Amino acid sequence: MDGMTTSLVGLARFGRHASAVCVRSVTPPWSVADVAHHTWLLATRCALPVVAVVFPAGMVIALQGLLVFEAFGAERLLSSLVSVAVFRELSPVLASVLVAAQGGSAFAAELGAMKIREELDATAVMAVDPVRVHVVPRFLAALIATPMLHLVGCMAGVCGAWLVAVGFKGQTDGVFWANLWGLSRPVDLFGSLLKTVVFGALIGLIATYKGVQASGGAAGVGRAVNDTVVVAITSFIVANYFLTSALFGALR
Amino acid sequence: MNALATFGRFGWFVADVVAASLRHPLPWRRTIEEAWRIGVRSLPILVTISFFVGTNLALQGYAAFAPMGGQALLGMFVALAGVRELAPIMVAAMVAAKAGTEMASQIAVMRIREQIDALEVMAVDPLWFLITPRALGIVLVLPALTVVSIFTVIASSALVAVVQLGEPGVPFLQRVWATTSGLDLLVCSVKAAAFGTLICLVSCYFGYTSKPGPAGVGSATNAAVVVSAVACAILNYFISELAYG
Repeated sequence: MDGMTTSLVGLARFGRHASAVCVRSVTPPWSVADVAHHTWLLATRCALPVVAVVFPAGMVIALQGLLVFEAFGAERLLSSLVSVAVFRELSPVLASVLVAAQGGSAFAAELGAMKIREELDATAVMAVDPVRVHVVPRFLAALIATPMLHLVGCMAGVCGAWLVAVGFKGQTDGVFWANLWGLSRPVDLFGSLLKTVVFGALIGLIATYKGVQASGGAAGVGRAVNDTVVVAITSFIVANYFLTSALFGALR
Repeated sequence: MNALATFGRFGWFVADVVAASLRHPLPWRRTIEEAWRIGVRSLPILVTISFFVGTNLALQGYAAFAPMGGQALLGMFVALAGVRELAPIMVAAMVAAKAGTEMASQIAVMRIREQIDALEVMAVDPLWFLITPRALGIVLVLPALTVVSIFTVIASSALVAVVQLGEPGVPFLQRVWATTSGLDLLVCSVKAAAFGTLICLVSCYFGYTSKPGPAGVGSATNAAVVVSAVACAILNYFISELAYG
């Protein structure tokens, strides 16, 4: 019962944090320079990990897909499957996992360290709203950078699949590219972009919440980072199911 | 250049850990403790993640195959994509996020509080005392977690296939059964053990070499999860290529 109460209180606190951040995100004054700075930082930090994870994932899809399609003599459908899998599901999820692991945990670490060193309190004492100055730019950066990284992931995944299918397994180059859009439509890409915007927002909110709530010295910062990654990944994978049902269920 | 130097230092670290583990008797009690902690703590989160990965797999497979009239292939798709590829890599990602970050931050905190130096002063080998049990524990427990994850993925995708998509349940499960084999479970367990070793060593390395202060612990934890996720994704391709390619 006690644990239940604690988690309900935590949820309520998170709701208050989320509404505070959202209200400040849509009301002026905005600090465009800060948002751009954090977006750039997040995108450059995450781009390499996203490529390094989605590229081998694309390679694996091509490997397993070829095994299946060879059994039916339908190898030409490989790139159609790759595009569906990468655009709709793999790239949004894996890109968001890495944004949570790399960007979200960095946000939690930075804000947590600021909180422990009482820099957030110092900001408030100077009559500067710490949420507006430190939290909102990071939240907006996660919101903006995640879809961009998703697009990077899409390209990396398709290139990975191309490398295995054409490079290693000797499929014809033209067949690969001609069938790429066989099953997926531009709507799929827009749907998945919408998903990544939601995932990015979730990551931004959870990371900044865990950061500003950190307590208990260096160990507290470590705990905040740990919690951020776990909670963010779990919550957007749960959200993913409902978004997929809503988006692609309706689009079918 | 910097990355290359880190890679080299990581290699030395691994060699040191292996040497330390061989030099001393194996710490069985601590190993069981760590295995229990990693396994029990990661289990709820792992089941949640696997459940929703399975539901999405069924939805997306259906969306891809239904236009061609290939709904019957859904079971095969779930078995191939879910059991062979997604389950091990999702387990690895979650264990990296949960247990890996925990190891990194614990060891980093010990480092900056000079507890690791204190161990050395007491003539206890810190690598053997802190890292060997964690590495052995994760290798023991991760294959079991992967099997749990595989069954969760199959169950949740069957649930979505039957309840949400209105597919017949028995042929679906028969397809899954026909496509998977004992070899798949074996490969998944090997993958899980390999990912576990990698996650543990990478996370412990970043924790062990943490910079002082809260910011140092934060960035060590951060680096641990990203590097181990990337390393697992790359290793996954090579194991798949060897096993199925």
